[in-house]
Formats: sequence, C-alpha cells, structure tokens
Amino acid sequence: MTQEQRGQKASSWQAARAVFWSFFGVRKSSDYDQDAVRLTPGQVIAAGLVGAALFIATLVGIVYVVMH
Amino acid sequence: MEATHAIDHDHGHGHPTGLMRWVTTTNHKDIGTLYLWFSFIMLLTGGTLALLIRAELFQPGMQIMRPEFFNSLTTMHGLIMVFGAIMPAFVGFANWQVPMMIGAPDMAFPRMNNWSFWLLPVAASLLVGSFFVPGGASAGGWTMYAPLFLQGGISNDMTIFAVHILGISSIMGAINIVTTILNLRAPGMTLMKMPLFVWTWLITAYLLIAVMPVLAGAVTMLLTDRHFGTSFFNAAGGGDPVMFQHIFWFFGHPEVYIMILPAFGIISQIIPTFARKPLFGYASMVYATSSIAILSFIVWAHHMFTTGLPTAAQLFFMYATMLIAIPTGVKVFNWIATMWKGSMTFETPMLFAIAFVCLFTIGGFSGLVLAITPVDIQLQDTYYVVAHFHYVLVSGALYSIFAGVYFWLPKWTGNMYDEKLGKLHFWMSTIFFNILFFPMHFLGLAGMPRRIPDYALQFADWNMVATIGAFGFGLSQLILLVVVLKCIKGGVKAEGRAWEGADTLEWTHLPSPAPYHTFETPPTVK
Repeated sequence: MTQEQRGQKASSWQAARAVFWSFFGVRKSSDYDQDAVRLTPGQVIAAGLVGAALFIATLVGIVYVVMH
Repeated sequence: MEATHAIDHDHGHGHPTGLMRWVTTTNHKDIGTLYLWFSFIMLLTGGTLALLIRAELFQPGMQIMRPEFFNSLTTMHGLIMVFGAIMPAFVGFANWQVPMMIGAPDMAFPRMNNWSFWLLPVAASLLVGSFFVPGGASAGGWTMYAPLFLQGGISNDMTIFAVHILGISSIMGAINIVTTILNLRAPGMTLMKMPLFVWTWLITAYLLIAVMPVLAGAVTMLLTDRHFGTSFFNAAGGGDPVMFQHIFWFFGHPEVYIMILPAFGIISQIIPTFARKPLFGYASMVYATSSIAILSFIVWAHHMFTTGLPTAAQLFFMYATMLIAIPTGVKVFNWIATMWKGSMTFETPMLFAIAFVCLFTIGGFSGLVLAITPVDIQLQDTYYVVAHFHYVLVSGALYSIFAGVYFWLPKWTGNMYDEKLGKLHFWMSTIFFNILFFPMHFLGLAGMPRRIPDYALQFADWNMVATIGAFGFGLSQLILLVVVLKCIKGGVKAEGRAWEGADTLEWTHLPSPAPYHTFETPPTVK
C-alpha cells in the first residue's frame, strides 16, 4: 500500500461493504488490511448502526411477507 | 512479532508482602491471580451445589432434602457459576494476559482494578451467606423472574444486592480493559496486529458496558417493587411480569456471548500454537466476533417463546437466532482449517481446545434446534435445555478456561505443569462430562422438566447415569487443583517461549515466570 492510499479516507460505500462482510463474518485479508488503514472508528460505528437497522428491517420484511 | 530492542523488565523495587500484598495490590498479575483463585473457589462452591442437586436426582422420589432447598440449589448454582466462576475467570485471564500481549506495563486504572476484584468476595459472601438466613437462599431460579422473586424473604434482597455489586465490578473491569487496549498498546501494535484473545476481550468489554446497567436496572426495579411500593412487574398494581423477562434477557443473551467470546479468544491462541500454523482467517475471526456481538442484541426473546409473544415476534426472533449460526460456523470452520495439515501435537491445552471445538459445536447445534419456535415450545424448561447450555458453558466456556490455564501456567509460574496429570484431568473431565450431560438430551426429549426435585419413574435410568457422571466430573476437578499447586511449587523450568509455536509478546519477549513488572519500556512491534 502506498503512502497516498494510506492517507485516503474510505468512502461511506467502503464502510458499508466492510460492515456487510462483518455481518457475514468473512473478509478477504487484503480488503481487511485496507479497512484497517482507511476506515475511521466513526465510520465503522455509523455504518454498523445503519447496517444493524437495515438487517432488522430486512428480517421484519421477511416476517411480513411470511405472515401475509 | 519482533521487538527492536531488548527491554529491562524488572526494576526490582519492593512491594508489600504477605496478606497486604494481595489486599493493596495494583499489579495486574497479582489481580489476575486473585481473580483466578476466586473463580476456582466459586467453581468448587457452585460445583458442590450441583453435586447436591444430582445426589437428590440420583433416584426418583425425595431422598435427601426438602424441595425448597432443592430450588435454592438450582438458583444459587446458576448465579454462582455465571457470576462467580466463569466471568471472573475470564477477567483474570484478561488481567494477566492483555497487558503482556499488547506490550503494556499494567492495566490503565490499577487502583480501580483492585476495587473491581475486591468487590467480588463481598458479593460472593452475600450469595453464599443467603443460605443461612431465615427462609433459605433465593429459590426463584438464577433468572430472578417476577413474580416469584417479588415474594420470598431477605435472601432475595441479598441476591439483588450481590448482583448490583457484581455488575459494578464487571463494568469497572470492562472500562479498564477497553482503556488499556485502546490506549496502552506498544508502538507498532496496531489493532489489526492484536492477538485474537485481546480482540475478543475488547468486544466483550463493550458488551459488558452495554448490558450490565440493564441488569442493574432490572434488579433495582425488583427491589423497588419489593420494598418501595412500585408495580413494575406486579400485575395487581398494573405492572407486567413478562416485562421483567424482556429486560432480563436483553441483558441475558449478550451475557451468553460475554461468557463465550473470551473463550473463542483463548482457543484462537491455543490452536495455532499447537498446530504450528498461523490462525486461518484472522480477519474473518475478528469480523465474526463483531457480528456475533451485534446479533446478540436482537435475539433475546428466543428465551421467551412460550410467554405468548405474537407470531410475528416469534418468527423474527427465530430467524435472527438462526442467523447467529453463520458467524459461529465461520469460527468453527477457521479453527478446523487452522489444524488442517498443521504439525499438530496434543499437549493438555490443545486437547481441551479440540474438545472445545467438538463439544461446543454440539451445544451450538442443540441451540439451533431450540431456536425453532415450535420445537422450543415443546422443549421449553426440559432437560434438553439444560443439556444445551451446559454443552455451551461447560465444554465451551469452562473448557477454554482449563485450556488457558494449562497454556499459560508455564508463563505464570515459570514451571511446566505435570503433563501426565493434565492429560488425566482432560480425559476424566471429558468422559464424565459426556456421561453427565449427554443423557440429559434424552431426558429432555422424553419430557423431563428442569428445576424439579422429583421425577416420573421412566426417567430413572438416565438420571442415575447423569449423577454418576456428575460425581466423576466434579471429583476430576480436584486433579486440576493438584496440577496447579504442584506447578506453583516447582517442576521442570519453563523456557521464556515454553511452546515453540507461540508467537505473542508474552512468549517472545518475556522470561518465564513473567517478572512482577513487565514492559515498563514498551517494546516496538514491527
């Protein structure tokens, strides 16, 4: 990883992707290394909260479909 | 991991000796030792209660005690094992290991650390002492459900007070661990280089900070319902007893992960060491641990499928619970992949770690069975549930503690433990554990209810088997006591790197035993 890449802050999309993989529990080592350098704790917490809300909404949606 | 320069470890200044050393200590190693001995004493105490339970259940009919006392035994066994044995043992490991593994000189708040520990004997005295007050110890189950817990005598107040104190201790311990990990890491020890044990404890500490206040709130409401005229859980006053269950399990399910995530951490240190291979999928292990922690907050009502939840809620909690199997499965896969084609040897820590992987997985699968709502409605409050959570908490949490003790004893004492006795402890424990708990699956499937001192004749045979297993398992733990005492007294001197496959800082940078003060000058990790 170059110094330039190291300095770049990850986009929200990258934070969302990292959180998605964290829900699955799997992450490619190289992607993980990048997350480690570029994601800020604030981004991870924000993406985690949004991710958890989406996860719950998806489950509620599935329950709704099953019941109707 | 390498350090760039050698470190002067021990400055050799004095510290109090005798009893005052332990009372006033702010040293993370001393406090770790105190935690571990406390939890061992609690393990034997809780274990004795369990043996009394099994003695009563050896045959149908009432044999040796009154039913009220039996109820006290099941209640106090649960409380003492969860809050007195398993949780303090992991905090003991954290105290000993976290500073050494991240290259820190001590915990971030050493005085608070001392207080965190010394609150525990106070709480334990309240719990154990409650057996001797009028009416006997709490008998409403370790979950302290209303309305049962709103009734009863002073012992319930003692239990509530003990839970408050234990909660304060846990919160302080967790704050200490989080601060230590986030602020005291050696230069170069980035988060992503931290050993997995440290990662699992960081996540566990956040869980503790999130849910212990919830438990404190729940028991405070019990207390005010009992004595100050409120009716949070009292239906007669417009309250709702089921609300207690919601609040309790909002704490209680993350609590399950508080007791198992550090276990995952210990196992993730041991398996790579004895397979002589790096941990397979370190990154995915960290992510799996985080996702388990997040999911643990949205599954609590699977403990309450028979309380009359609406169907939509039953479906939601069933789906969410089943999804936890994914990150947990990732972990089990990674441990197996770490062992795959490794140069494995089978010293005692590794034996306990392998048994953990096999037996914890059985507990995980029976958990999946119970996650299916219609099945759970059949199995609720049967011995199947008892079998399930003992496979998770004994062959899961407790086995990881055993594995960790054997693994780090050489570092703590400077001596190798007696391998023959260690293996004897492992095999006796594992054989008797399965004799004790596996038949409980059959008993539960056949409909035997839990928390009942008498049972129908058709359950007699497997209960007799389970009781034989219980006494075998219980007595086997005395072997561990002998091994530890022998190891403290002497034995073959352990090298700094007692296990050739070990690569964390305490093994690569410190002699055995670890000096009283370590990493006063932090190592630089490359």
